[in-house]
Formats: sequence, structure tokens, C-alpha cells
Amino acid sequence: MKRIISVITAMLLVFSGFSALAESAFTPAETYDPGERTFNAGEITTVKTEGGSSGEVTTDVYAGEAGKDYTDEKVYTYNTAMTAMGGGLDWNPHTWETSDDSIILDYITIGFYSFVVNSNKDGYSVVPEMAADFPVDVTAEYVGQYGVAEGDANKAWRIALNQAAEWENGEKITADDYIYSMQQQLNPKMLNRRADSYYDGDFDIVNAKNYLYAGKMSYAPLGDAKAAELLEAGQEVYLDMHGFWGMAGALDAEGKEAAKYISVTNDVMYRDAAVEDENAEEAWVSAKYLYDNYLAAGQKYESYAGKYLATGSVAPETSWDSVGLKKIDEYTIDIILNKPVEEASFYMPYNLSGTWLVYKPLYEECKTFYDASGAEVDSEDKADKVTTDYCTAPEKSIGYGPYKLTYFELDKQFTLERNDNWYGYKSGKNAGQYQTDRIVYTVIGEQATRLLAFLKGELDEVGLVAADMEKYASSKYISYTPQSYTTKITFNTDYEKLLAHGTNSQVVVIDEFREAFALALDREEFATAYTAAGSAGYGMLNYMYAYNPFTGGLYRDSAPAKQALVELYGVEYGEGKDYATLEDAYAAMTGYNMPAAQELMKVAYDKAVAAGIYDGVSPVEIEFRVYNSDTVYVQMFTYLDTQIKEAVKGSGYEGKLSLKMTVDPDYYETMYSGGADMIFTTWGGAALAPFGMLGQVYTDAADGSGKQMEIGFDTTKVMMTYTVDGKEITDSLRNWTLWANNSKDVTTIIDAIGEFTDYDYETRNAFYAKMEQAYLSYYVTTPVYYRNVASLDSQKVNIPVETYLQIVGFGGLRFLTYNYDDAAWADYIANNTLEY
Amino acid sequence: MRTMGKYIVKRILLMFLTMFIIMTICFILIKMLPLPAVREMGRDVNLILAKREAMGYNKPLLVQYFLLLKNVFLHWDWGVGEQMYEALNVWDVLVQKLPYTVLVNLYSILLAIPLGLVFGIYAALKKNRWQDHVVSTLVVVFISVPSYVYAFIVQYLFCYKLGWFPLTIESLESTAFFSGRMLVSMMPAILSLGFGVIAGLTRYTRAELSEVLTSEFMLLARTKGLTKAQATSRHALRNAMVVILPMIIGEFIGILGGSLIIEKIFAIPGVGSLYVSAVNVRDYNFFMALTVFYTFIGLASSIVIDISYGIIDPRIRMGSKK
Repeated sequence: MKRIISVITAMLLVFSGFSALAESAFTPAETYDPGERTFNAGEITTVKTEGGSSGEVTTDVYAGEAGKDYTDEKVYTYNTAMTAMGGGLDWNPHTWETSDDSIILDYITIGFYSFVVNSNKDGYSVVPEMAADFPVDVTAEYVGQYGVAEGDANKAWRIALNQAAEWENGEKITADDYIYSMQQQLNPKMLNRRADSYYDGDFDIVNAKNYLYAGKMSYAPLGDAKAAELLEAGQEVYLDMHGFWGMAGALDAEGKEAAKYISVTNDVMYRDAAVEDENAEEAWVSAKYLYDNYLAAGQKYESYAGKYLATGSVAPETSWDSVGLKKIDEYTIDIILNKPVEEASFYMPYNLSGTWLVYKPLYEECKTFYDASGAEVDSEDKADKVTTDYCTAPEKSIGYGPYKLTYFELDKQFTLERNDNWYGYKSGKNAGQYQTDRIVYTVIGEQATRLLAFLKGELDEVGLVAADMEKYASSKYISYTPQSYTTKITFNTDYEKLLAHGTNSQVVVIDEFREAFALALDREEFATAYTAAGSAGYGMLNYMYAYNPFTGGLYRDSAPAKQALVELYGVEYGEGKDYATLEDAYAAMTGYNMPAAQELMKVAYDKAVAAGIYDGVSPVEIEFRVYNSDTVYVQMFTYLDTQIKEAVKGSGYEGKLSLKMTVDPDYYETMYSGGADMIFTTWGGAALAPFGMLGQVYTDAADGSGKQMEIGFDTTKVMMTYTVDGKEITDSLRNWTLWANNSKDVTTIIDAIGEFTDYDYETRNAFYAKMEQAYLSYYVTTPVYYRNVASLDSQKVNIPVETYLQIVGFGGLRFLTYNYDDAAWADYIANNTLEY
Repeated sequence: MRTMGKYIVKRILLMFLTMFIIMTICFILIKMLPLPAVREMGRDVNLILAKREAMGYNKPLLVQYFLLLKNVFLHWDWGVGEQMYEALNVWDVLVQKLPYTVLVNLYSILLAIPLGLVFGIYAALKKNRWQDHVVSTLVVVFISVPSYVYAFIVQYLFCYKLGWFPLTIESLESTAFFSGRMLVSMMPAILSLGFGVIAGLTRYTRAELSEVLTSEFMLLARTKGLTKAQATSRHALRNAMVVILPMIIGEFIGILGGSLIIEKIFAIPGVGSLYVSAVNVRDYNFFMALTVFYTFIGLASSIVIDISYGIIDPRIRMGSKK
């Protein structure tokens, strides 16, 4: 009997073992198809404007405060701090890169035109500075030259120069200075970083690029051209290996690095570091392989061929005379562009809000010449490469703006003092402005030190962090500077890459999962608790974006943009609804709905199990990669973890799902390679060009090879339908976005309804708001907060504008006034404790 | 003496060989990390790529290494920054920033060494009495607490509340590098850096001296008629120094390293963050120059410390096969 029982027990054990093995042997589906994605954008009633929208900029400038200006004999110093010099400042007008770099330039130079506070102090006006007047369209004078054809307009512009303008040493600035400086800006042996400002956008000077790249190979995206046809015709077609397949730094078998552009007929294999196993499929790829298998006609990424395939050509030898910048007389220049400037009364001054001037004697002195082997040679003629240390020290820089650089100490301090040779002081036209005599920037890396220095009266402004807000949020000296940046949470939805993580994080590919996560976030609470001055973020674009540069109308405040978000977050208005008007609904919108999140999470669970991508019982770990483990990141992560755990309550994920925080300084690159499940992403910039924003990022491939971080979200597969004046037009989300970014390549849309810029700003805005809604409605990225900067201003100074204004901010140093001069302030802080 | 000379020459030659090996390995390793991908919106990427091409970044690794060696040995040219301090000469940046680090650290150890020795000797002489307990407790506290904690306390108390010192060090626009005003402005950083060194030195001195003081030869010295002070200074201290002095030399060599956090708190434009930044942003030229610089310092310091043993205690003979 005992034997029988033993045998039965043993058999039971074996069976239970097999069944356990069977359970653990669950294999998730190899692929996941999110199904057809369509987005109905509804009706758009259009208004076209002949030749695009137009308007006039205002020119009435705030006069400043009488008696408080540069004629005051007392000394006024503005002391401020920066956290770092960003690895050294570069204030060479030809090479500067960052906003920190431009700080010095903004003081020691001035543009052809300035945008300044208007007379009502509620917006901006434009005032000529280095130009004597506004630019004049002289396109007709150039017909038959520089590619200008009969009937063209807004391509050639004449600028009368300010004849009072001088270098800070008192020498006159003439047309020759502009011509020399541009020639240096485009110097092919220098490859100056800012050269692209004059050919790579809408402000494209004729032959500027050819002059820069003369004799060098340069590549242009294929656009509408067909690779197969070009190849048949015997032309070379190149693949952007870095952009399309992330092959920057990849080596071939002989250790040679992959060039950015390689001919699609070239079959040299390069090792793709993203594939761990060297023997795995696609561990080695060639340009030919990638073209044949992905970008050729009929292949998976054919629609990206125009972007990642390129034609290559050696830029022709181009003489300087053929570049579209002409001296007309000592004080007049013409600029001839390849493309007409739309809305010229705004965009010409905007594009010319700086200049490219360098002082010839010093610039030449600062050059060093090298031959091809890297050896120094004695003249530019013999050189292959020319470098310069122009603008790396006060004695190596010379300006022509309201201030001059008098002291510079790397990573410590720089000082600017009034430039008495500036025309604005000499002519008296800036009366009531520029009371500041001296500006001192000190590098103080530590926030606590900056705050103490401010409280001691040593600094006249200080930025605040979240920890400071409890004490200073209600200070009357606080000001909030909005930034164009929105911080979002971005998901990787590339099923295969998620599956490879082995943590069941592939469940995030279910749309309802991500929507539930979005609804589980109380953005108001998040922004208040974890940011200094951030505000709850609901849309991709925040309140900084102006959709109409002439009126300053803000995108986020417009009805279409509000409607988009109200619909997205399911807030209803109208008769019989919770809210009477769109305004009410928008004001009440929080984007936070935990019960709805919990219901969606149940659906998400069921869908994941039904799709065979999750066994329904195993733990799910979603990895959240962050830049570092600062307290604030830990707090943010803890909040997200708490919310998602609340959201999964009642669903099959309850008790099984968790977030894991991983510190990864390269988390952006990790996401691009598909290695992260979710990350914070921040985007912004170009506050006056919102319609180009989505097109700059969300038209790239979904595999992380471009700028789009939402890996797996293929915008070519999302079909979007607008009913335009009663006519239905369907195209991919990618193409609509390209259309809004003024692409000429989306011929199907252009043929149907013309170009985006044919419509007035209100119509463009209506189109664009729906594109934003479409992106958000798949929750591959979820806005969390809009970035703002909070700062305290010293009792020593008065800020001219109370509320931040587009482009001109709070008025800037031009209109800053003082309550104390330096001596009085020193006395005041010696005898008083400053309270903020 | 000749043996010692040969030993030193041998060590120096080995140092250069080691340096070359480390330099080669580091060059290959850093070059294996690709430069950050260029994903700038609305900018001409070709321009950056062309610049990198012009800087020789697309040449084969061995060619690049050869060019680096050629430029360094023939012209002492470490190139210019590409990812940080763009267009600035790498060596110039290092030379410009190093004096601040050196001076603050030098002042700090010049203050710390006498104090550390005095406290250590005092604690050893008062071993197991209350004075020793007080000193030892303080030593434990100052060794355990990181220097940036003192830095914040010193800054808040002495600079902000009492106003004895400025919050940050002076710039060269307002005073000379070697001036009383600069020294005063450096005091908070000097103190913050010094506490840890004082504590460390006190602990070593106390431990070594306590051991030596209980040695038999000390008893012999006293029985010969030397006073306690004479015996301690002439015999005990000298023996204890065999261990303490290399530590002091090590501190002097460490002054070139800088402290990232202290430099940040007191706005010192030193070299503290340079190496970390170079690795983070992958600036090849800065990384190589700093690698070689710190490798040289490390290797040279070990030679100096080894030689110092022989000088302090003639019984220790370097290079002798006997």
C-alpha cells in the first residue's frame, strides 16, 4: 500500500512539475499589431490669404523712465550670477552656440533691428539699430541674376546702414565690414558653426552654401526624387547611415568608421553595436543591405526614403562675387535670398535681429593656419584649415553695442562696461534707457551660495528652485519667466524591443495602458510639488508659442488649441453638459481621473492577455530611466510609482506591476536605441514658429534613428482625415505634419488644398491644433508640466515690465532702472538686513 | 648613493613607459566611444561632421594617435576643445585653472599639517586621558563628515551670518592672485578642505607616536637621562615620521587634484570638474591631456614617496640588492 501511495505521490509531483513548467513556459507573441489607427480631425473652414498672411509690426517704442538713463553721473552696477560658463563661453559671432554664449554678444553687439517693449508695455515693437531704416524689397532689380526670375518678390532686400555706427575703438562701420565679415562667416577653411544661419533655413543667401562647401562633397535629401530612377540613370544615391540606422561610430571589419553618408550600392558591412550578439541577424549591415531591405520601393520604410536617402554632389567652386551679399555704397548693402521671405515685415527684422560683424584687423590677427597634415603654416593661402581664437578674451574681442567687455576670467567672472562710442549714447536717441553702467556676471555653481549672495545684496537677481518656493513664493520681488519647454513622459512602444527587456514591460504597447497612466497623473500636484515654478502641462506646446507673430496671439490660448485638449481629456461642454462654454471646460480641465484610469487599466490588462503578449500572472516591471538620482528625481519617480500602483488597483495588474528607476546619464540615447521603457523628455524652442515644431521631430522614423523619441510610434501608419471646406482629405499624420512645416514634398496634400502658408493664421492654427491632438491621443507621450523659471529681483532695481512679454521678456537691461547707485546700495546693505 | 641614483633613473624610465602604456590604452578606449550623435533641430549637421573631419576624427585610430603624439612631443600641442571649451587650447585652459586649485589646497595643507601634528602629538602624549578622548572624538567626527557639509556650515556661519569672509573667492579683477584679500576670500574653502586633513593627520600621528612612545628604545632614551620632551622630539617623532611624512607628501601631491564640490560651493574656477566633464561630454583632447597629466602626477608622486622613505630613515635603502 505504501508503495502504491508513494508511486501516486511521485506521479502527482511529476505532473505538478510539468504543469508548473507549462505555466512558466508562456511565450509572448512575437509581434503586436496595434491595429488600424485613424484620427478624424473634423471640419476646418478655411480662409486663404493671397500670398500668405501678412501684417505690419509696430514701431512705437517704450520711451523709458525720464531721468533714469545713461546721462546719470552716478555709477550703477548690475550684479548677476550664472551657474557655469558651459565649458567656456564662445562669443565669436561666427561660432557661438548656446544661450550662455550669446550673453556677452547681446551686450557688445546689436542687430540690424531690435525687438523692444512697445509704448503700452504690453508687447513688442521693432526699431532699426545697425540699419538706418526697414529693409526695402529690390527683387525687381535682380531679375536674371542670382536666380531671380521675372515676377519674383521678397527675395532681394536693400538695407541702408546706420552711418553713426562705430566699433568700440571709434572706427566707423561701413558696408565693407559687412562684406568682409560674411566672407569670413562662410570661410570654407574655417567651417564656422553659425554659417548655417545664412543658408540652412528660410534666410538662405544665394550661393552661401556653395561658397562654404566649395570643392567639398555635400548631400541633399532625396525629397520627391525616386532612388530607383536615379540609380538607373547611373547617379549615386547615398544613405544617411547615422540618421537612418544609428551607425555613428560603427566600425567595419578593418576598424574603419562608418561615414554618415554611404552609397546604397556599397556593400561594406559595419558592426551595429545595438545588436549585442555579433552573430545575430543584422549585427552587421551595409548601406546596400539597408537600402534593399528597408528603403527601396515596396519596403517597410519606403516612405522615409526622401528623408534618409540623399544625392551627393561636390559643391562647385564658387566665387565670392556670386554670393548674394552686395555692397551698393559705403552705407548700403543688398541681400539676395534663394527663397522669398514670407510675412516680411516681421521676419526680415526677426532674421536680422543680429549681425555677423567681426573686426577685420583683429580677426586676421587671431587666425592660425594649418595644412592637411595638421602642421602650422604661415598663411591662409597655404592652409587647409584655419582656426581662430577671436572673442576668447577681452583683448581679442571688439564690439559695437551698448557695452564693451572689459574683463573675462574663465569660469569665474566677466565684466562689461558702457561703450561710450555706441551711437545710441552719442545721438541721444536712447534717452530714458540704459541706466546700468556696469554689468558683472559671476560664476557660482551652487544654488545655496547664489541665494546667500543675493540675500547679502551681492547679486541683483537669483533663480529659485523648488525648495526655495515655500519661503519666497509670495514675495513681491518674485517674477516668473515662462520657457517654451514642456516636460513629458515618453513611452517606448516598439513591441520587439520591449520584449527583449524581459520584464513584461511590453504591456505598455496597449493604448489603454498609456491612456490610463496619463489619466492617473495629477499634473497640478506634480508641478507644484516637484518644480520651482512649473505649471501643469496638458499640451505638447505651452503658453509661450505665438501662432501669429504680428498680433502675438498665443497658440495655447486659442480656441482650437483649447478644444483639442478638452476633447483629449474628455471634458464636455454645451447644453446639458457639465460646463457651459469651452472656456469653462478648459478652466476645469485637470487631465486627472483616477476612476477612469482604473477602468482603462482593466481593459488594458484584458487586451494584453487576449493579444498573447502577457501571461496575466507574471510580474511586470517598467523601467523609468532618469538623468540622475537627485532628490527631485527620486520624488518624481516615487509619485509616478504611487499613481500607477493606484491606477492598477482592481485590474489584473494589481500587485504585479511596479516601476523601477534607473539612473542613466545617456537616457536619451538609450531610448533612441529602444533600451528604455519610459523616460522624461523635454522639448521646446522656436516660440514664434509653433507650426514647424511637430514637423521637426515627429516626422522622423519610429526606430530611434531620427529625433523622435517615441520609439515604435509610426506616424506614417496613423491616417488622419480633415474635412476641409466640406471635402474629406485623408493622409498620414506624418504628411500632415510635414505640410504644416511648409514641406514641398507632400504633394498629395498640396495638390488637394494648396500649401499651409496659403491660409491665414487662424486657419493654420485650426489645422495644427488637430495635429497636436492626434499625437496626444495615442499617449505615446504625455505632457506633465510646462517649464517656468522663478527668480527674485533685488530691491536695488526696478523691472520695467511686470508680466513676461513674448520676445522682449521683462524689458531687459535697456529699461532697467535703479533705486540705489553702487555707493548708496553698499551703505544700505551694510546697515540693513534684506528681506524678501 | 650611486645605487640610489640608478634606482631613481630606473623608476623614472619605468614611469614614462607606464605613462605611454596608459596613454595608449586610454586613447583607444575613449576613441571607441563615439562622439555624441548630432540631432540638432534646424541646424546643418554636415557642418559639424565636416568640422570633425577637419579635426582628423575620421582618420584611422593609429593615424590619429600618431598625430596626437607628434603634436604633443614636437609642439606640446594638445589640441583644442571640441565638446567643451570650444576652440580654446586644452593646455591653456588647464594652466589657467590649475593655480586656483593648487593655491587653495596648498594653503589648506599648510594650515592642516602643523595643526594635525600638534593635535596628534598632544593626544599621544595624553593617551587615554580626557584630552585624548576629546581629540579622538573630534577626529572621528571630522573624518566621518564629508567636507562639503563643513563647507556649507562655514559658509553660512562665517560668511553669511558673521560676515568674516566673502561668500565666494575674489576674482582677479578685484585683487591680485597672491594677496591678503585673495587669501581671506579663500579661507572658507581652506578651512573646509583642512578639517579632514587635520583629522587624518592627527589620527596617524597619534597612532604612530603612541606606538613609538611605548617602544623599548624610548625607555632606554629616558634612562640615558633625556627628558620626556627631548626623547619624544629626538627619537619618538623621528621614528613616527617614517609613516607620517609620506602621507604629508601625498597630501601635497593631491593639491593638483582639486575638489569638485568645494570648488563649486565657493565659486573657485579650478580644475575640480574638468576631468569628469571631459568624460561626460566625450571631449577627446581634454580627456587625453588630463589623463596624461593626472597619470604623471600619480606616478611621480609614488616615486617621490618611495624615495622619501630612504631620506627619512637611512635604514631603508632603495634599489639595494643587499
